[in-house]
This record gives sequence, C-alpha cells and structure tokens, in this order.
Amino acid sequence: MRNPLNKRLLRDLKSDIGKYIVIMMLLILSIGFVSGFLVAGNSMLKAYADSFEKYNIEDGNFRTEAELTQVQREAIEKQKVTVYDNFYVEKDFDNDTKIRIYADRKEIDKVCLMEGKIPQNKQEIAIDRMYADNNGLTVGDELTIVDKSGKENGTVFKITGLVALSDYSALFYSNNDMMFDSDSFGVGIVSAEGFEELSDGNVFYNYSYKFKESPADDAEEKEKSDELMEEISRITDLENYIPGYLNQAIKFTGDDMGSDKTMMEVLLYIIIIIMAFVFGITINNTIHKEATVIGTLRASGYSEGELIRHYMEMPLFVTLIAALIGNILGYTAFKELCVTMYYGSYSLPTYVTVWNGEAFLKTTIIPIIIMVVVTYYTLRKKLSLSPLSLLRRDLSGKKQKKAIGLKKSIKFFDRFRIRVLLQNRSSYITMFVGLFFANVLLFFGMMLPPLLVHFQDTVTENMLANYTYTLQIPAGVLDEEDELSAMFSYIFLQSKIETNNKDAEKFSAYSLKTIGGDGSRIEDVTIYGIADNSSYIKADFDEKTVLISSAYADKYELAPGDVITLKEPYEDKYYGFKVTGIYQYDGGITVFMSQSHLNKVLGFDEEFFAGYFSDTEITDIEQKYIGTVVDKDSLTRVSRQLMISMGSMMYMVDGFSMIMFMVLIYLLSKLIIERNAGAISMVKILGYKKGEIARLYIIPTAIVVVLSLLISYPLISVIMVRIFRIMLKQMMSGWLIIWLDPKVYAEMFVMAIITYAVVAFIEYRKIGKIPMSEALKNVE
Amino acid sequence: MLELSNIKKSYGEDGSRVEVLKDISLSVGKGEFVVLLGPSGSGKSTLLNIIGGIDTADSGNIRIRDKNMSDMDEKALTSYRREHLGYIFQMYNLIPNLTVRENIEVGAYLSKNPLDIDEIISTLGLWEHQNKIPSQLSGGQQQRCSIGRAIVKNPDILLCDEPTGALDYNTSKEILALIEEVNHKYGNTVIMVTHNDAIKNMADFVVKLRDGVIRKSYRNEEKVSAADLDW
Repeated sequence: MRNPLNKRLLRDLKSDIGKYIVIMMLLILSIGFVSGFLVAGNSMLKAYADSFEKYNIEDGNFRTEAELTQVQREAIEKQKVTVYDNFYVEKDFDNDTKIRIYADRKEIDKVCLMEGKIPQNKQEIAIDRMYADNNGLTVGDELTIVDKSGKENGTVFKITGLVALSDYSALFYSNNDMMFDSDSFGVGIVSAEGFEELSDGNVFYNYSYKFKESPADDAEEKEKSDELMEEISRITDLENYIPGYLNQAIKFTGDDMGSDKTMMEVLLYIIIIIMAFVFGITINNTIHKEATVIGTLRASGYSEGELIRHYMEMPLFVTLIAALIGNILGYTAFKELCVTMYYGSYSLPTYVTVWNGEAFLKTTIIPIIIMVVVTYYTLRKKLSLSPLSLLRRDLSGKKQKKAIGLKKSIKFFDRFRIRVLLQNRSSYITMFVGLFFANVLLFFGMMLPPLLVHFQDTVTENMLANYTYTLQIPAGVLDEEDELSAMFSYIFLQSKIETNNKDAEKFSAYSLKTIGGDGSRIEDVTIYGIADNSSYIKADFDEKTVLISSAYADKYELAPGDVITLKEPYEDKYYGFKVTGIYQYDGGITVFMSQSHLNKVLGFDEEFFAGYFSDTEITDIEQKYIGTVVDKDSLTRVSRQLMISMGSMMYMVDGFSMIMFMVLIYLLSKLIIERNAGAISMVKILGYKKGEIARLYIIPTAIVVVLSLLISYPLISVIMVRIFRIMLKQMMSGWLIIWLDPKVYAEMFVMAIITYAVVAFIEYRKIGKIPMSEALKNVE
Repeated sequence: MLELSNIKKSYGEDGSRVEVLKDISLSVGKGEFVVLLGPSGSGKSTLLNIIGGIDTADSGNIRIRDKNMSDMDEKALTSYRREHLGYIFQMYNLIPNLTVRENIEVGAYLSKNPLDIDEIISTLGLWEHQNKIPSQLSGGQQQRCSIGRAIVKNPDILLCDEPTGALDYNTSKEILALIEEVNHKYGNTVIMVTHNDAIKNMADFVVKLRDGVIRKSYRNEEKVSAADLDW
C-alpha cells in the first residue's frame, strides 16, 4: 500500500498556494538569475577565448611614423613574426564621438559581423555594435565626419553593419587609459576603397604581428615581445608598441569577466543563506500547525523517519520544480538578460550557449543540498520530541518554568505585546537575521550608484590640473643599449614636444606596478616628478618627500611612515619608497615626488620630463606625441563605464532583494499569526475588535521590523564597506572612494516600512478571517 | 495480555515535584473492555499514555504479550505502537486535507493485515461521508473517523483518551456504542479513560483512580450496553 499521506502533497500545495508561490518565486529568481549570469558569463568567456583562434587575433601591434618599406618589413619578419598592415584613421563625428576606422580585415584581427553587412562601397561603414548601442545608432543610420572645430566636412557614411572587432573587445582608446569608453569612442571598418579616400595624410601606420611560433607561456611571450620591440626600434621609428598580453583592448574583457563572477558568487552565498532561513522557517511553521496530527500519527505507530520523509516531500518538490523552472529560465530569459548586460559592457563577438556544470552545481545542487540538510535538521529536531509533547504542542522541548514577571504599572496592552514578543522570540530572532541578509543585498544594490556619482563629483573637484598630458615617448629614446641613437632621437623629439602654452608646467613621470599579494590586482602606479614651486601640486618637496595620492592611501590602507614596494613592469627590479605624506587626489593611484628626485631614482636625465600639467588645452603638440590626457572626461570614465555596465544589474539586485525582503516578512508574520490563531480566536470570542487584536499581534512584529532595520543598518554599513573594498580591489585598477550615501538609508527604511505595511495589511485581513471556532478546535 | 506492576510516575523537580502515579499494578485480559475512571489530575491519562508507550514510567514494569516495555528502545516502542495499539483522543486530530477514507487509510498503511476499509466505513456509519474532508463533518463524525483510523489496523489494544469529552450526550452515546461494537466484532482489548462515571457500567473491568492511586477496581457482573447508559 502506498503511503496515503502522499496524497496530501498536491492538496497542501493548493491550500497554501500563496506561500509556495512566494517561495518558488524566490528560488526561481535566485536559481534563474544566478545561473543565467554564470551561463551567460561562461558562454561569453568561451566566445572570447575562442575568438583568439577564430578571428586570428594578433600577438601585438606597433605603430611607426612612416609606412614600412619592403626592406624594413622583411627585416622585421626575420624575427620570426608575420607583419600585417592594420592602418587606421581617427575621425570625429557629428554625434560628438570619435571612431577609429580600419579597412576591412581579411587576415588578422578578423571582424565578427553581428548585424547587417560588411561595407562594400566607399560611403559605407560598419561600426562597433556596443558603440552603436550606446549612441543609439542602428543599421541604416548615417554618420557625418566633422572637423576639429565641429563643422561638418560633408563626408557622410551610411551604417551597413554592426560588428565586433576581435582586437577591441573592450573599447580602450589608448592602452594607458584606466578604463575604456564605449560612449564616446568606437571602432569601425570601411571598404578598402573607402579607407583610401579617408586616408588624406592622416593615416596611423599601425601594424599587427603574429609570432610564427606561439610563445609557450607569458614569460616567453614577454621575452619575445621585448626582443621584437628592440629590433623594430632599430629598424624604424616606433611611435607605439603594444604586445598582445599588455593590450587592454584585448585582455581587459577576459580579466574583467572573471571579477564579475566573484561579485555574483558573493551574492549567491547571501541568497543561499537566506534560502536556508526560508526553508527553516517554513518547515517550522508546518510542524507548529500540525503538531497534534504528528503527535497522533507518532502515537499510532508512524516512525520518526516516515514522518520526516513525508514532511520533506513538499519542500523537496517545491525546490525541484523551482530548480527546473529556474534552470530553464537561466538558460533562456535570464541568460538573454545577462548576455545583454555583457554586450552592454564589452564588445564581444557572437556566442553559443554552453552548458555550465559549475553554474548547475552552485545554483541548483548546492541549494537543494542546503534545503535538504536544513529541512532534515529542523524536522529531526522537532520530530524527535515525544508524541506526547507534540500532542500537547509543547515544541520548545523544554517547558517554560514560570512566566517572566512584568510590572503591573505597564499598561495591559503593552504587557500583552511583550508576552507576544517573548512567546515568539525565536521567530523574531530568525526574522532579524533574515532581514539583515535581505538588507545586505538591498544595500549592495542601492549603494553602488550614489557611490559612483559621488566619486564623479569628488574626483572632478580635486583634479591635479584641468589637463594632464602624458607624452608618448617613442621606444628608441629609452633604448639603454644604444645611447647614441637614443640621444639623437631625444633631441629630435624635444622639438616636437615643447609647448608655448603659458599654463603648461612640465613634470616627469614613470609607471611602475604594484606587487599584488593582498587580494588586489597588480596595477599601474604613476609616479609624478613635480617641478620646483609647482603651481599645480601644492606641496613642499625635498629630496625625501614621497607623497601618495589619497586614493592610493585609501585603497591600500597606507599611512605616512609606511613603505610601498613597486616593481618595474615585467622586470625583476623593485623600488621601495617611504611614504612621507598623503596628497589629496582621488583620481588615480599615484605617487608624487620632486622632479629631480624621480629622475635620479629612475636614472633619467636631469632634464627629462614626461608631460605637462595645464589648466588650458595644449594645442601646439601633435596628437601622436600625446599618450594620454587626463581631464574631467577621462577621470569619470571609470565610474561612467561602471554605471553603464553595472547599472542594469543593480536594478535587478534591488528588485530581487525587495522580493526577498517581502518574502521573509510575509512568511514570518504569517507564522506568528498562524501560531496564535487559537488565542486570536479566543480574544475575538471575548469581544475584542479586529483593530484591537491587530494592535496586540501585529504591532509587536512591526516593532521587531523597525528595530531590526535600525540595528542592521550600522552593522551592514561596516560589513558592506569591507565587501565593497574587497570587491573593488579585485575588480578594478584605480580606486573609487567608498562613500555611503545617507539618503540611501532613508530610502531603504521607507521601502522596508512600505513593504511591511503591505504584509501587515494582508495579515490584518487574515486576523479578520480567523473563525471563533478555532479556539474551540485547538487545545494549546 | 497486559500486566502493569508497581508503576510510578512523577513530574516536576524537587520542591515542586508531584507524584502522578503511585505504585499502580493491574492486569488486563485479551478482549476486555476496561474503563479507567477518575477526576481530573487522578493520573488516568498519564497511565494510558504509559501503556501506549508515549510516556515513560519512572519505575515499575509493563508486560504486553510477554514482552517487557522497559526493555524497548524508541524504535521498538514505535514498532510496538505500530503493531499492537490504536489511539483515540478527545481531539480527533484528523489530517485536514485528507478525506474520511484517506484518513482511515493512514491507519491501514501501518498494518500488514488491515481490516477491510469499506466494511469499517459502513460500520462507522460514514459511507455517505467517506469523500468529505474533516472540516465538512460534525464533531461526532470526526470522532468516528478517528476511531476508524485507530481500528483499521486491527490493533490488539485500543486506547481511548476521553473519546466523548468534546461531544454532546447523544453523540457520545453513539460513539460509545461504536467502540463497544468494535470490541465485540474485532475482539480488541479496549482501555478507555473517562471522568464520566456512567460509562463504567459498560466495562468488563473498572479501575477507579484518585491522586495517582487505584482506589477501587472490580469486574462488572452485569454490563450495560452503551445504548442504555444514562447520565
């Protein structure tokens, strides 16, 4: 005979459908959203990884001042590399953006066509898909080239296709930029004919190369790349050299996608903890409701195991159904959503959805195991009570010895409410913990956008100068082996990099790397050598002064007296600096010292300088000698890009945590009302009105909700600062000031109270529905 | 069938310790209808629960079908209840979302040789109500259903704890008649706890308890059928 108790399964589901829908939704959303994210991430990462071979991505590129001659090309190719032309022009367009335009690539860094077609005629262009999205452009639209002053020059392009250039999965304008900028910078391709027409003396002679024998590892790649750079700079004048492993436009995406995963996993763990709570609460609720039935069944001879199995069926059933739907959604709707998010952040080629075993394990198997363990543990604890305890509804396992004394001076209603609070203290503790975690999630979603806005505001307020120009130093100048050639190059260069701008102030600078090891990524640290009596950097410098930027101090928790160790990129050369002070600058991880100090430490010529600070724009230096310009726009690029790429996710996190919040309050309030159904019914018989009963049974919960919120906010703030710190350290180069917007606390509180009000209203109606006969049916 | 010797039970600690059962011994034969009679707090329900294996005695011994209950662990006690006992409580404790028939099946599931469910439903007068859920039934009908759940596994002993405590006069008599019929028809030993003095007349064996002590026990020379009881 089949266990007749099994027949309850569907009926239980039907009779308490509201509760189960809420739990299922929670599970479906968690499983669906997180697995969607992981599946999308994995599929995209695969598409990214495969793109190296599929689209024949370069091993590096270099730019020369003049086009290579056949002899030069052959000389370079003797270094066991194949060199490909990858010329480009840069044009400003009428939508205030710049596009780097290449001729269609057939051999190297091939193009992935995502929509439309590849341009055939000279008036046609295919542009990067993400740049198009960010600028509201689609196939069929037109773009007009403008000159420097913003006047249209009459060249109109019709967009024929949206593409992903395999060497621009992140749209970095310059490899020195802290963050890419897909808003105002894009890439595109035109037909060979079209390119010829555009190249009116402004061509950047860019070449991509590919090693004939792929390097075995990073070390070999670096070695080969260094050798190649030296060789090329002997053969021709190098303007730029970016080995593939250092090319942010290629590598950033792969590195960054991994760090998003860390954040999502943190989120998943929080969700799993909340889920475990929800299961614990639900099963507790069921046992409370059915204590006497369970007692009777136990007295009749049903074993503990049989009943545990019976009561585990429903949560298991609900979880499995939710896992099924969640996974289906994870591979369809949620995946699409997350793919859109990825496409909103990176310029990735087309992808194919791939099965993700890790996602399945983390989003489905682990929550199911947790559900089984938590449910089993809760059931085991409660069902091991004697049948008699269950029949008497004595579920605490130990009897309360005597009532806690309350002064008679306390008003009756208050005393009653205190009793309700005491009676349900375990539920209320659960509620506090649950709300705490839901708040962590909400905080996470709500605090990030104002943090980014605050960063934008602060960073633009304390800029070093309106414009900080770092010059592009051709490789030959730094050639230590050929000093004579270096000297000539430098003399030649000097004439090109002097400015007449009166605001301009020279500085020297050098980029070193952090050594990592504290969970943060290895990142560039710019060391500025400041001129004496600088009008931009207001600090006294002597030969020992080493100031670090406030962002540097904040990120690495450094104080004056600490020693920082920096490393020459890709060389085993280390520098130690003792920090003597902190300079208020949030725009980057930087070190300031006197110019002479820097030049001496790094072995540069006394006259060496690397750029200009200037409050007005420098217009008399050719663009190609300017490596990077730090201005308002570039300083806010990181936060703007984070806003674009994380914005939609933050809204999802907000929505998700609100649902979580509601579910928890709903389930726990329901539990408390249901547990007191008999007493509520009895006070009704005595003549209490619905409003009075609500004051007795709903207000204690309201008090707990408000207290939970007020207690959890400061705790969460401390925790979140830690989480943000770890997360941002792992996720990004540079630094964002971790600032918690006080307004968000108020918003969160109001949202929580509104949510509770909705639940309280539902509960209020429920109180009205409790029949008076309830008191007669149940014996407490 | 059932031998109780020197059963003692107390609750509470030290100063507030209350002796609920003081040295109770009695013997019940197979198929006997036993009534444990006494006022509130006399210890009758505690005694019933100890017999039912859902409470334990502090000392003393219970032998049932030549097995010693004090030797049984939790698992053995569960099997004992499963194989030999049927329980009827004052509150019916039916599973709210199972029908009458299904609630009875819950009892049948525990037995290797359950009685015929249709026959039981007919005997209990629940044929027309067999597809209703408990909330659609009157108190008396719910109690019939709980009797059905207890007897369908054909237990050796049927333990009834104030089975008419929540019912009116007529319904109480109907339920008592039903238990009597079950006792006759299936030959189960019935041990019923009640504070209703009138019910003693339908028993084979009456045990009167007060303050945890058997004040009187006797066998009825002439039993009165449940239908003829009056109070």
